Amino acid sequence: MPTSDAPPAPAAAPGVPTAPGAATGPRAPLRPPLALLVGTGVAALVLTLLVAVTIGPADLAVGEVVRSVLAHLGLREPDVPRLHDAIVWDLRLPRVVTAAAVGAGLAVAGAVMQSLTRNPLADPYLLGLSSGASLGAVAVLVLGVGLLLPVAAFAGALLALVATLTLARTGGTLTPTRAVLAGLAVSQLAAAATSFVIFWTATGDSYREILSWLMGSLAGATWTSATIAGVALAVVGTVVLLASGRLDAFAFGDTAAAALGVDVDRTRWAMMTLVALLTGAMVAVSGAIGFVGLVLPHAVSVVTGPAHRRLLPVAALAGAVLLVWADTLARTVFDPRELPVGIVTALIGVPVFAVLLRRGRGAAWS
Amino acid sequence: MELSIAGAGARLGGRWVVDGIDATPPPGALTGLLGPNGAGKTTLLRLVAGILQPGAGAVLVSDPGADDAAPTLPVHTLARRDRARHVALLEQSSDAAVPLSVREVVALGRIPYRTLWGTDTGAGAVDRALVAASAAHLADRPWSTLSGGERQRVHIARALAQEPSLLLLDEPTNHLDVSAQLALLGFVRGLGVTTVAALHDLNLAAAYCEHVLVLSDGRLATAGPPAEVLTPALVRDVYGVDAHVLSHPVTGRPVIAYSPPGTEDA
Repeated sequence: MPTSDAPPAPAAAPGVPTAPGAATGPRAPLRPPLALLVGTGVAALVLTLLVAVTIGPADLAVGEVVRSVLAHLGLREPDVPRLHDAIVWDLRLPRVVTAAAVGAGLAVAGAVMQSLTRNPLADPYLLGLSSGASLGAVAVLVLGVGLLLPVAAFAGALLALVATLTLARTGGTLTPTRAVLAGLAVSQLAAAATSFVIFWTATGDSYREILSWLMGSLAGATWTSATIAGVALAVVGTVVLLASGRLDAFAFGDTAAAALGVDVDRTRWAMMTLVALLTGAMVAVSGAIGFVGLVLPHAVSVVTGPAHRRLLPVAALAGAVLLVWADTLARTVFDPRELPVGIVTALIGVPVFAVLLRRGRGAAWS
Repeated sequence: MELSIAGAGARLGGRWVVDGIDATPPPGALTGLLGPNGAGKTTLLRLVAGILQPGAGAVLVSDPGADDAAPTLPVHTLARRDRARHVALLEQSSDAAVPLSVREVVALGRIPYRTLWGTDTGAGAVDRALVAASAAHLADRPWSTLSGGERQRVHIARALAQEPSLLLLDEPTNHLDVSAQLALLGFVRGLGVTTVAALHDLNLAAAYCEHVLVLSDGRLATAGPPAEVLTPALVRDVYGVDAHVLSHPVTGRPVIAYSPPGTEDA
């Protein structure tokens, strides 16, 4: 014991010595400025929307799309041929805008769930929220209960969330593995119930309808769908963005978050309810679409880092761009037949997920 | 910050894990919190941190507005953000679930100071904390690549970024080698911040702490300066181990020499 450690000498207490060679070592990746990332994302999204609207059986030019949109916004005289104008404004634009809002919402929902549960596999689809929302929506549609579709989907998502968390906590602590297993059970049950309800009551092509609720489809998108998804995204997105500091505080767990001044229980339940609300709105307009919420937050955080003030807006923009292109593929590749868009997101998402796993970002994924 | 634990108790799962603790750790100094596994050290630290509601009594701290004032405010009634600007708690072995850089880990300590729009109200606090904890050279490293000693140093920097006037450490020397243990406690003692650290090593506590609290089965067995408190009788009573207490040849502080069971009468 060195003499300098004698009791009355706190001023002489040594600092922690630098370990030899500690300065060399792997460096954390540089994080580009947020303005650059958001600017790039917004530009990519605008370009995506304009180009995606031109793609389809009727040949349109980007210039026509711009003129039609400006005319409908009252910013110029209408001069696009009426048929083309109707294709842009009544058919394709609502669908493309809905796809963008749903993609952004799913990415935000996934990012928030992953942080709150400290579970890299948390996602509305995997934890059963999407199937629960589908069941709620289908029940209202088919059984004719007097309830608004998005409200029913929200209730379904919330019930599924509570069921998953309760099941995962039964007889043990809430580990990521238990949450995913419980989510799988809830999701399978809700999907089976959804299929049963449709199969039992539908008169026409029940298989197609079952597929579009369980694997997602934007074929029925209207301006009403775009409004529902857009409003839910704007409201929930703003609240979670303002709470990004609180979400960051969960990085080292609940106790650390509490020590940083976060009301852990209230924050978790408020945020989870918001995620269920967002999921309900998305599923009500598009069915249950997988992989966007699971994969995008991980892929985007490679560039943005895990700070939510950076991660959430960039993930939202990337989710919007991704789902617009996925839906464009879904409706054109086998034209005139449409694929459920969930098949396309799975085809894109699984390889991305595999790459992320290979890159060793799975260190915490046990 | 002055601290006074007044009859504090906490019940978890229907059992009083900590019960009737009365203690006044000296302000501006390092207090060791000792006791066997399961004695209630972590629970007491959580009570003192104000993140666990006391089932009985209270933990009182000075009004954060006036640091030298007598402890009159129950810590669990402070507004959460205000509390987090004055009290920092380092848990045992906590790990991040996401890929953070060291600077981002330390910046978490600034969350209680962020405005609604996410801007930090104290420029340079992260850098000052990194320098103070001698972790500045690690700033750009990914958290996942740090050694145990480096992680503990970064955790300390994260706590310092909160600019605490009360620092609570749960077994901060776990998984550290001998020199890192000595360096860490020497550094913490030199901060001049009221600090309570749960420790397993009685000799480290004897060498560095001005005051120790000894818990046994959720109750305070004894408290006071280590030279008065750490006696063979206490070690026998609390830990069930026979020991001799010697005097350090240089510092004069107590050194506890344990007797392996069966050797005491030899």
